[in-house]
Amino acid sequence: MTALITLTGVNKYYADYHALRDINLTINEGEFFSLLGPSGCGKTTLLRTIAGFEMPSDGVVMIGGKDMAGVPANLRPTNMVFQSYAIFPHLTVAENVAFGLRKSKEIDKQTKAKMVAEALAMVGLDGYGKRAAHALSGGQRQRVALARALILKPKVLLLDEPLSALDKKMREQMQVELIRLQRQVGITFILVTHDQEEALVMSDRIAVMFEGEIGQLADPETLYRRPNSRRVAQFIGKMNMLDATVEVVDEVIDLTVRGLGSMQIEREQAPEGGQVGSAVVGIRPETLGILFEGETTERKLVDGVVDEVVYYGDMTYYDVRIEGVEQPLNIAMKNLIGRPVLEVGAKTQVIWDERSLVLLP
Amino acid sequence: MSLRIYAIAYLLFLYAPIILLPIFAFNDATIIAFPLSGFTTNWFAELATNKSLHAAVENSLFIAVITALLSTWLGLCAARAGAMHQFPLKAGIMGFIMLPLVLPEIIVAVSLLVVVVQVLELGMSNWTIIAAHVLICTPFCIAILNGAFQNLDPSLEEAAMDLGESRFSAFRLVTLPLVMPGIIASMLIAFTISLDEFIIAFFLSGSSPTMPVYIWGLLRFPASLPVVMALGTILVAMSIILLTIAELLRRRGMARAGVKDKGGFL
Repeated sequence: MTALITLTGVNKYYADYHALRDINLTINEGEFFSLLGPSGCGKTTLLRTIAGFEMPSDGVVMIGGKDMAGVPANLRPTNMVFQSYAIFPHLTVAENVAFGLRKSKEIDKQTKAKMVAEALAMVGLDGYGKRAAHALSGGQRQRVALARALILKPKVLLLDEPLSALDKKMREQMQVELIRLQRQVGITFILVTHDQEEALVMSDRIAVMFEGEIGQLADPETLYRRPNSRRVAQFIGKMNMLDATVEVVDEVIDLTVRGLGSMQIEREQAPEGGQVGSAVVGIRPETLGILFEGETTERKLVDGVVDEVVYYGDMTYYDVRIEGVEQPLNIAMKNLIGRPVLEVGAKTQVIWDERSLVLLP
Repeated sequence: MSLRIYAIAYLLFLYAPIILLPIFAFNDATIIAFPLSGFTTNWFAELATNKSLHAAVENSLFIAVITALLSTWLGLCAARAGAMHQFPLKAGIMGFIMLPLVLPEIIVAVSLLVVVVQVLELGMSNWTIIAAHVLICTPFCIAILNGAFQNLDPSLEEAAMDLGESRFSAFRLVTLPLVMPGIIASMLIAFTISLDEFIIAFFLSGSSPTMPVYIWGLLRFPASLPVVMALGTILVAMSIILLTIAELLRRRGMARAGVKDKGGFL
């Protein structure tokens, strides 16, 4: 894998506001990379810095081995799909898609028309060329914006929350299409999103950002299973947090978790290494279970009382109180055949396993 | 029902005097009174031969065209800045440049007279009137162009730049065509305001009066009253045509940008 974009010590200030804090980042060729974070975390600023709409206050942005200092957006090998799509309303679909080809005088008219047709076909809009751009639906605008950016064969496609304006069904469909498109064209995609599910589904790697810094940079599975901090753990999916005391950090880690007791976990379950003293452990709701009547388990059990039941159809989410812990445990259970939906106040047993814990500093 | 009568009476009160203009412009008598004595186009013919009137109309047209261009250009800059950029004290500054809209013209006229004659020690000319007219027309232009810019997605120019265009050509290729109907509407309205503005022109015109000032001068001679009526008829017709074009263009701009019409300036 070759590095395509390298950011070194990038900072951005708006007057007193520190929007980007010492960002160091390498994005590879052909990668689907996501910048994920709550609103105001600096992810869009970072994207715009790569695009050339913002200049870093200090630090270096390199694209394809070239320093981008002083290079404006129109001269960078990047193209962007804007959150609003920014389709030019006074032009037709074909004119929109061909907009970026204006500068390429060496390409003749017929070739341009062919390129536009190909680009439209690639995003599933064959035959839409003559339509007025302002008469398109949200999903169609999105596709035009993609075709318009991809026709220039950029090294990097930047996507600023491209799916946030679509409804849920359309969003899920476009997620799959974007992945397919990225594999097809093979160029680097950088996606900005606040939707952790979207980032997990689509990305090769994800940088989670908080308050202008990168909290963790990892592939989706690592990010989900081994978050390196409480804020990452809580931002990505649901996570139960239990207080714990670490006693020994050696080949394995010995610790006592409130409500669950003493146990041993592997070193890799502590992404930040683990230190003797107080800490927290995180447990995902789907790695816990409820022992229903007639079912058996070889995993460990702890007594609990059902505090809240949320029925989702395919799943039921239970909040179960266990002794010694204030916050009830959130447990996700598949509604398999024969499983009843428990009622609030029911006494039950929670199945758990120390292999699913992650130790957080 | 009573509301309907009120509305009709209101419209009558508003437009009846204007309807009198063409009636007496074609009436074959120097005295403006009923009954009408016959149809004539003499008064229009007299207009065509009046040299000093022609000079006044020429002055007015020159002033109105330059005013329309300058105030629309200033309005364009202000509206673009207001719509696309954030800067300190923005609301205050925007309010301040809209102020001439409610400033009494006579105050503007007197203070400009003092500035031009006493402070700058310049002579009166069409240019002093143009300066004053730009001052009073610019807020109208900003108001119209604001509407055009508010419907504009600020990402559009960035998208054009992202696709390889420089900042200026992004403006030329994307923003300008989208706000063009607003620009034309703004020029037409500035032109109309300047063309029939009296108070400022009266104070600031030198030896060569503008058309409204000339008309005011004619009123001292009862015999020339029908000529004024004829001139007025032409002016009313022209105003209506220009404002209609301005409104049509504004609507076309809305349709082109694909946004819902929320009612315009007019």
